Amino acid sequence: MLNKVDIDMRVDALGLVGPNGAGKSTLLNIVAGIVKPDEGEIFFSGEKVTGLHTWNLVKMGLVKTNQIPHPFRTLTVKENVEVLSQRRKGKNKGTVEILQITGLEEFENFYPSALPFGYLKRLELARALACNPNTILLDEPLGGLSPHEAVSMVETLKKLKESGIKLVVVEHRLSELFTLVEEVVALDRGVKIFQGKPEKFSSDPAVASAYMG
Amino acid sequence: MKYAGLIYVIGIIIASVLISFFVASPFLTLSLTLATIYMGLALAWDFSSGLTGYMNFGVQFFFGIGAFFTGYLYYAYRLPITFTLFADFALGFLAGILFAIPTLRLRGPFFTLLSLLLPYIAASFILSFWTILGLPTIGYYHIASLASSPFRQLVYLSFFDAVIVTLLYLLYRSHFGLVLRGIRDDEETISNLGINTFKFKALAFSIATGIMAFVGGAYASVNTFAGVDSFGLTFLLFPMLIAVVGGTKRILGSVPSSYLTIIISQYLNLVIGSATLIVFSIIAIVLVIITQQGFLQAILRSRVRAR
Repeated sequence: MLNKVDIDMRVDALGLVGPNGAGKSTLLNIVAGIVKPDEGEIFFSGEKVTGLHTWNLVKMGLVKTNQIPHPFRTLTVKENVEVLSQRRKGKNKGTVEILQITGLEEFENFYPSALPFGYLKRLELARALACNPNTILLDEPLGGLSPHEAVSMVETLKKLKESGIKLVVVEHRLSELFTLVEEVVALDRGVKIFQGKPEKFSSDPAVASAYMG
Repeated sequence: MKYAGLIYVIGIIIASVLISFFVASPFLTLSLTLATIYMGLALAWDFSSGLTGYMNFGVQFFFGIGAFFTGYLYYAYRLPITFTLFADFALGFLAGILFAIPTLRLRGPFFTLLSLLLPYIAASFILSFWTILGLPTIGYYHIASLASSPFRQLVYLSFFDAVIVTLLYLLYRSHFGLVLRGIRDDEETISNLGINTFKFKALAFSIATGIMAFVGGAYASVNTFAGVDSFGLTFLLFPMLIAVVGGTKRILGSVPSSYLTIIISQYLNLVIGSATLIVFSIIAIVLVIITQQGFLQAILRSRVRAR
């Protein structure tokens, strides 16, 4: 349950952290239109989007990835991306380009059941890119990855940020996350307890209390 | 080759016409004609229900309204049958949209249950109100035949089926078909990734119901009669059986499967009569258990493995 969480994103990459049950994924689901809030408003690109369905938000450029990958198991990797191809005004990334960006080009004709877990996470990212977003909400993109895989994923996300895509990243792996984001928001039991630069995160008393008890 | 499968099945359709021509057996021609009718229904059913996973048990409703609409248009206005068939498609498409709008939003089995009720409502309505509706009797008699001879009817119906299978297969291979497969796989996820699943389901459903009504009109013209038997369970069970035997979700399997199923059933009918449907239903259940991808698909795959 979230309680009067007020966040204004003015950076290219925002980290969202907190202990388990803090409400991080709930917040992402509300912003993505998957869950309707009981009260409060959500603004995206200056427009009020509270209560809009996910497909309207995707058209506006806001996409969310799943914490646990949910690939379409009866479709190949390439089809998983192609099925979500959106035609919006402006430049659209093609399937081949998306597979190259996410490192999946050699798996394009594989079915998801044949992919290692790390590549399923990349497939989640690829599907989000197929929607031609300007903002991606990433729910634990590094969860379950080896240290090497996590570093590689962070490099991919940095390239996306440099290409102009804004990122909101829920993560528990703080050392990797802080190399990517410019600002961090911390939640604890549904309440925002910190918003500021990553380097000030650990020294904040409210953060220390939430994580250490 | 990308469309090799489509070319094969069109070849099968052409071959059936040629076999009818050279064998020149009225019973065989009739059986092949029936096969083309059921083929159209099976293709339509597989396209909407097989691809999306939303089971439509009201095939015979849309089939029946197509038959009756052809009867009505011919009886009231003496319109040519080729025109009435396209009018049937339009009616079936519209009826599909009207049914889909309230029902496709329902979760669980409610769509399937409601679709099951449709043909019974229609048949009861006609039986109760045929005098008020202005029907000459509980149906339309002496509808103009599609062609001057049974063989020509087979040619026309085979042509229609070739067009139907081509259009549906092209749709299946398109982005539209990919989305339908994604909906069957995980509708919630594909919806959360920006696809308006209702729009795709409704369109697939309506294209299918339009084809079902088209086929119903063709059947009425072949029989020169449109009656409440057009709403019978046979026009649900056999198309589903054909799609299952041929392998659902793949469209093309229904073509050879329809010839196999209907010709065998026609000859079996001579021997065991109305028990034919029971026998085929048991065979279908066994086939689904043994070969989940369909009997014909299983044969094709075993031959590929053997090579």
